[in-house]
Formats: sequence, structure tokens, C-alpha cells
Amino acid sequence: MDVDKENLIQAVVIMDTFNNNFSPLNNIKPAALFSVAGVPLIDYVLESLSLGGVGETILFCCENGSKVKEYIRMNKEKKLPWSLTMDVQVLMSDTCRTMGDVMREIDAAGLVRGYFILMGVNSISNINYAALLEQHKQTCKKDKGAAMTLVYKKVSWQHPMIRSDKPIFLAANANTGKVLMHQKYKPKAADKSINLPLDIVLNHSEVKLHHNLVDANIALCSPSVPPLFSDNFDFQTRDDFIHGILINEEILASCLYYILLKTDEYAAAVTNWKTYQVICRDIIHNWAYPLSIESGTFYQNNFIFMGNHNFRGKNSKLSRSCLLTEDVLVGDNSHISDNVTITKSVIGKNCLIGSNVVITGSFIMDNVTIKDDCKISNSYIGDDSVIGEKSILEAGTIIASNVNLNAESILKGAVIECSSANKEKTLSKSTSENEWENESVNSEDEEFIGLDKEWSDSESCYSSDSSEASSLPDSPVPDDTNIFLQEVIDSLARGYEEKLKCDYLILEINSSRYAYNIQLNEVNFFVVRALLGIPILTEAKNVLATIKDIWKYFQPVVSNYIKTKSSIMDCLKAVEDSCLKCPWLEGKAGQIVHLLYETDVVDEDSLLEWYEELKEYESPLVAQTSVVKFFEWLEAASEESD
Amino acid sequence: MAPSESPPRELDSKHEDKIVKFVSDIRNGKIEGSNNIALTTLSLLEQIITECENATALELSGVVREVGRRLCRALPQELVAANMARRVLRAIRDEHRLLCEQSGGATSGTGTGTEGSGDSLQRLVLAAHGGRRTTLGAALPHLREPLRDHIAEVRAEIESCTASISSQARAHVHAAELILTHGASSLTERFLKAARRHTHYRLLLGEGPRVQESHAMAARLSAAGVPVTLINDASIAAVMSRVNKVVIGVRAVLAGGALLARAGTHGLTIAAKHYSVPVIALCPLYKLSPLHACDRYALSALDCPRPSMLYECGESSRVHVECPRYDVVPPDHVTLFLTNLGGSSPSYIYRLLSELYDPKDHQL
Repeated sequence: MDVDKENLIQAVVIMDTFNNNFSPLNNIKPAALFSVAGVPLIDYVLESLSLGGVGETILFCCENGSKVKEYIRMNKEKKLPWSLTMDVQVLMSDTCRTMGDVMREIDAAGLVRGYFILMGVNSISNINYAALLEQHKQTCKKDKGAAMTLVYKKVSWQHPMIRSDKPIFLAANANTGKVLMHQKYKPKAADKSINLPLDIVLNHSEVKLHHNLVDANIALCSPSVPPLFSDNFDFQTRDDFIHGILINEEILASCLYYILLKTDEYAAAVTNWKTYQVICRDIIHNWAYPLSIESGTFYQNNFIFMGNHNFRGKNSKLSRSCLLTEDVLVGDNSHISDNVTITKSVIGKNCLIGSNVVITGSFIMDNVTIKDDCKISNSYIGDDSVIGEKSILEAGTIIASNVNLNAESILKGAVIECSSANKEKTLSKSTSENEWENESVNSEDEEFIGLDKEWSDSESCYSSDSSEASSLPDSPVPDDTNIFLQEVIDSLARGYEEKLKCDYLILEINSSRYAYNIQLNEVNFFVVRALLGIPILTEAKNVLATIKDIWKYFQPVVSNYIKTKSSIMDCLKAVEDSCLKCPWLEGKAGQIVHLLYETDVVDEDSLLEWYEELKEYESPLVAQTSVVKFFEWLEAASEESD
Repeated sequence: MAPSESPPRELDSKHEDKIVKFVSDIRNGKIEGSNNIALTTLSLLEQIITECENATALELSGVVREVGRRLCRALPQELVAANMARRVLRAIRDEHRLLCEQSGGATSGTGTGTEGSGDSLQRLVLAAHGGRRTTLGAALPHLREPLRDHIAEVRAEIESCTASISSQARAHVHAAELILTHGASSLTERFLKAARRHTHYRLLLGEGPRVQESHAMAARLSAAGVPVTLINDASIAAVMSRVNKVVIGVRAVLAGGALLARAGTHGLTIAAKHYSVPVIALCPLYKLSPLHACDRYALSALDCPRPSMLYECGESSRVHVECPRYDVVPPDHVTLFLTNLGGSSPSYIYRLLSELYDPKDHQL
């Protein structure tokens, strides 16, 4: 057994999603127990891991850990198949708030012995983990720096998995499978372009570009991954990690690879309500085989197949006059009364559904009572809820558990949860109702539950600042210079506000310069850049007047740095850079250059030289009317003086 | 509904672990093929019997029945596992009666002794119901030893059945015939290879749902010297008029002589019936199951729709793809079942069943 232990494949499952996509449900239930097609997510995960040849699993809980622990203990007692083939450990930590924290914790505790599988509890997949990990080890043999292999499933562009989650744009070396670029984008976003850095294409003989990948939230990791998280405290999510590694490949001496799953393998992650709906359907349609509606049970054939992908539990009672159209799953011991029509829905266990109810595209959890004559479409109803007579729920209504809804209530896109005082309260009464409807119109005939508002919330979780910055194509600015620029801006802004002596400011800038080891020409560049980037400018009504003011005040500082011919060129370059990057200077390049010319910071020759340069590399500034006008004026002026 | 002799009983946790391990091995695909599953089920039952020390026949049969019941529920598709439990139950009954007779002969005077003596047919029939139940309870110390021999016999039978079925190939495949088979099966492959040793024939191989396996089998057969033509399932009906014989492997043979086989077989046998082409089903005896074809729940399992359609394409999210795993072929479509004891017609299956299993064990 001890010898075996070395070769056991380890998997780390992160039991929280760290986002609010399923709010308010995530406050009540841990994500692990969230039921997809009648089976808690954790059951799918454990079954797929044990089928995939994993020997040891670490479940890392951050919230509601005790509930998960209890559930796992119960299942171990029930002797589910995985409990014998796999060692399952539940770890809890209340301090972890992000995935990065979890990885640092794992590193600190030394939980992983070698290569391991990292996945979220929301991944549903039937892949052979052992084989994939072996493949990753082979990659590592070829490339010592390989830190992580990302697992993706390629699907067609029209597939709902792509449409309902944020797709990824991935550029990779076609020969080795090394990831060169990784970017998430929204398919319906206004900005339809993606910038592909040219060196990606130039440096590799063959580059593959993928735009239709489903991210299953599964990654194969080298032992170096947890230490990488520990070394870089700004890695909060897996995306941070990916972007961090891609940007600082040389510094961190690590790189990423990717694997596309074969056609007979299924992988997807429940990330929002839309993917939830798609995955439920996939499971009912048996696409994730051997994961199915019977996962997580030892005994099988608990459901009776009724054709058209309708399943009902063996002990459920269906009235003769009820109609199940398609894709309906009715849990055990549920009772469905007369004249009920159900389409594309999941009904949990022990539910009671009254007469003349119409249910479409909805998810009804366990122990729910729905009284007569209700109409429910595209909604979610949590455990133990009671829906009164003649209620109408539609357009993405989400009802958390234990809610007792009055008769004849009409809800459209509302989120309702039960407060601790057992009093109903409506949290957000359909603020984004219209938005959601638009969405549903766009996505053809398919209807989704869930609010668009929540879905856009997730953006902030996905892309923190660092990844946003990195997605800009022209950001190879190393960190130090950025910090230096920020410090110079800060010093100047403070100096301007408190009217400090310029000598002190020069001293301050110089000391910063030595602290960050900045070249002299760079200092020239950044001082001018900072002058034009002082925060006051962003709020100023008359930008030019303020610039003039600032410039006048900082005259000593400028003259200290901008003396020689080359420094003047640096200064002009800084002006160019600022005008391109700062929104408040847009279209004002000509005036600024004119100001510099008037205050004798720059001379005519350098200006002309700079203008030639601009023309040479076709800077967008050349086309700006203010610049054209200034140089026309300059030439006219010089002719006059001649 | 089950005429069980004993109420559901608790198993030792040790035994439970073994069952769970066995079930997960099968689900993980570590044990594949009905032959292997039958053998491992036997070993599992043997181990459990060995560990039940000093058990009476009643207790033993109770344990075995419970194991069979659990396997049946956990692996409803693997009818073979339940069949093995039935075989062992039968063995317990037989051995017990035998022992009773022996001991009855030695210590004459007890009730059981007189019952077992004269073996007239009428006596056996009359005694069958009244007698056995009372006798199962008696503790017999030497039950396990002969039981082990019995299990070893069953095991030997299973191990040799492939050879004994393929040895009959000569009688069924003749020179220059065109044989049609469907999908890959190791037994069919052995059978066809054995036939090749005696005669030259041509083979048409319907691809079935698992195309890759069929292709691999076609490659192996053609390496063995059989001229193979692979055809699509859809064109089976078109070529059927030219076929001399259809040879198919089965998943299970059901009580009425119906058979359970890979999806697509039913279409094939309908075509064969239409053209009056004889259909030979290769079925080792361990695949005989006392279930009836009307038991829909056990038999209607849906498979993954992947072979018919790729998940990748956008249409997969808009259509219903129903892929049944097995087809039930009615008895009148089959000409001959070729078991390891020789050929028998579908109407004779009931007889084989009553020889193999005790009628009380049909429902575990």
C-alpha cells in the first residue's frame, strides 16, 4: 500500500465557485450539493474521478464545509463505489476567499505530492484523468517548465455551451500545444475584434487559433503550480494564473499547454444559469455517459424511461391525464396530478404538483409543493417551497429554499429568498427584466432561466484588473517602470497641490529613479508623461488652460530634465505617448506641442525632426488636425522669420 | 413479488466491501466481457461462501441470494452476474439434497432419509415442494467442500465454452457460403476463425454501433484468412438475399427463447426472416437468463448517443438522439441457439433453463 501511495493519482477539487452566479442559492447550500438533473454536483465529480482512475481526492471547502463533510461521510457509509477505490479527504478553511488562497493553503500544507489534477466542483466530465495526466507528464519531460495543461472540449460555434458562457480565444503553438495567448471574450460584445500580437505568428512555424472551446474548469498541474501561487500573491483565479504565466513566461520559467478532448469525451462546467440548463439537458440525453441521472447511487435502474427523454422515478405517481412532452425528469416519490403539462423540466424528489399546472423549462428541487392552476416557466424553485394556487412564475424567477408563496402571486424575473425570520422578502424585483427578455429573443427559440444581471456580475470575477491590462496588446511595460511612473505622478500631483518647491520634487523624482533603476532618458520621458497625466487633468473642464498652469508651475522641473537635444526628443515622444493613451488629451496634441514651443522647452529643429519621425511610422497623431495645423503654422512662421 | 425463502438480510461489511469493489470494477471497465464477468462473479461468490463458516444450507443460500440481489440491482445490464448467483444457489440445493440422502442412508429413520431413497419420477415431483424447504435448514458440516467442487465445475464449463462452441463451427459453416455477422464479439470471432480452418467461406460484417471494434475484428479475421467485407448496418437488408447464414453473438438469452443482443440486431433478424435465412445465435449456457422479454426496465437501457451524432455539432443540442443499448429479438427470428452443449431450438430454451436453475431462484 505504501508503495502504491507514491503512484496514486491525486486530484484537488475546489468546492466553491467564488462567484455569485447562483446567488442567492449559494448562501443556503454549498455549491457541491447543488443539484443538476437531480444529482448533487459532488456526486458527479467523485464518480467521474473514480472512473477516471484517480486514487486520492482532496476536497477543499471554503464555505459551508461542514455540510459537505457530513454529506461525504454519509456517502462513505452508504458505500458508494468511489468510497472504496478512492481516498477522499475533506479540508476546510474559512480564510480562503479565492482560488489563489486555496492553492497557497495547499502549498503551505504540502498536500500534493507530485503531478495532480485541479478541478472545480462544477466540472462534469467523463474523461480518463489518469491518461490525461500521463500525457501531461510526457509534456513535462519535453519541457521542464510546463506548469499546467488546460483541458478543453471543442464544440461547434453554434453550440449553446459556447453561446451561454464566455468563450475563450486561444492561440497555441500547433506543434507542441503550448498556449501562447488566452483571452476570454463575450460573443455579443460590441467590440468584435481581438488583437493578436504579431510576434506570436512570427516566432512559430505554425499557430493554431481556437475560438470555440468549452472550458471544463479542469487542469492538469505540475508540482510547481502551488509554489507559483505562493510566490505570486496577485494570482487570485485560474485566469489570473494563466495570464500571469503567459506574460511573465521567462521570469516565472513556466509555461502552459492545452489538450483538446477526443470526440467521445464530454466535459463542461456549470458556471451560470444558462450552462446549468444546457448541462442538465446533456445529462438527461446521456451525453455525459457514464455519468447520468443515476450517478451517485449504487443501485441502478431507479428511473423508468418513458420515451422522448422523459424519465420518472420508480415510485413516482403520474396521473393518467398528465402530459410529459420532452426532456422531463421526475424524481422518486413525486406526485403529478391531473391535466399537468411538463416540458423540458426537472422535478425533484417528493414533490407534489397539483392539477392543471403547466411547467416549462423549469427546475424544481426536492419536497416542493405546487398547488393547482399554476403556470411556471423558466424558473428555479428551491427545496421545501410551497407555491400557492394560480401563481404565475416566469422569466427567470429564482426562488430559494423554504419559501411559502401566496396564492395568485405573479412573479416575473424575481429573486425571492426566505429571511431568517421566516418572512418572505423580494430581493430584487426584476431590475433586469427587459434585458433578460432581449437575451432570450436573441438566443433563438431556446429559453433560459436566470438573470442577465447576475451573469454580467460574473465578469468582475473572471477578469480582475491584471488580466484586463494584460489583454491590451501594447503592455510589455515592465512593472518597475510602471511603478516609477505612478510615483512621479503622485509626487508631482502632491507638489502641485501643496505648492512645494520644485527643487524638492526634483530630489524626490531622482530618488525614485534610483530606487527603480531607471535610465536617464526614461526619466525624461516619464516626467513629461507624468506632467500630462496628473489626475487633476482628468477632472479639469478646460484641459489646455490647466496644462498651461501646470507647465508654468513645473517650469524648473522640466528645465532640469529637458536640456539636451536627445532629452527634447524624449519629451516629444512622451507627449506623443500621452496623447495616444490619455483620453483627456485626445485631439489636443497640436496645442500641447505649441505650448511646449512657446515656453521654449522644445526648439523648432527637434519639432520638425519629430514630425518626420511621426510620418515615417505612420503614427495616428499625424492625421490629427491640431497637429497638422500646428506644423503648418510652424512652417509659415519659420518662412516669415527667414 | 419475489418468492424469496428468506427475508432480505444484512451482509457482513467485509462482504459488502467486496461487492462494491466488484461492481465498481465492472463500472470502471476493469472487468469486461460477459465471460470475465461470469468468472469473477463466481470467484466472488466462492470467497463469500468460504468465509461463511459453519453455515447451514439455508443461511448459505440466503447470503448468496442477497449477493445476487444486490448485483442484480447494481448492475441491471449484466444479467450474467445474476445467472451465476442462480447457478450457485442451485448447487447449494443439489449438494444439500445429496448430502441429506447420504446421511439419511447412514442414519436411517429420520424424516429426510425416507424421502430421498426411492427415486421414482413421481416421487421426485411430489417431494420437490414439500421436501426441500424443510431439509435446507439442517446443518451439514461438509456442505462447503462439495460446493467448492461444484463451483469449480461451473468455472471449468465457462472457461471451456468458447472452445466447445467454436468446435461446432464445422457443422454449421460450409464451403463457399456467405456468412453475415453483426458487430464485434470475441466468441463470434473465435467461431469464425475455427470455421476457416475447415472450409473457405466469405464473411459480411455489419459494423454495428461500435464501428472501431468491428473494424479491428474485420482486420483480425482477414489476417486469419477469412475474406471479409465490411458493410454498413443500413445496407444489411439489401445484401440479405445473398446471404446463406447469419451468425450472431448474443448478450443474453431470455426465458421464452428471445434474445438480447447489441442494438441493430433486430433489424438484421427481421431481414433474415424475410428472406428465410437461417439465424444461428451463439450463446454459452451462462448467458441463459430466466427473465422474460416483457421486463422492460431491465432491458431498455439508453446508451450514449455519441456514435450516432457528435456532441460537437450544434444540432446535438436541438434533437433527441435515442440510442438503445440492446435489441430484444423475438424467438421466431432465431433458427438455432448454439450452446456449449450443442444446438437447440428457441422452443427448447425453457428446458435448458430448468436444468440450469431451480425454479425458485428465477426471481432472486
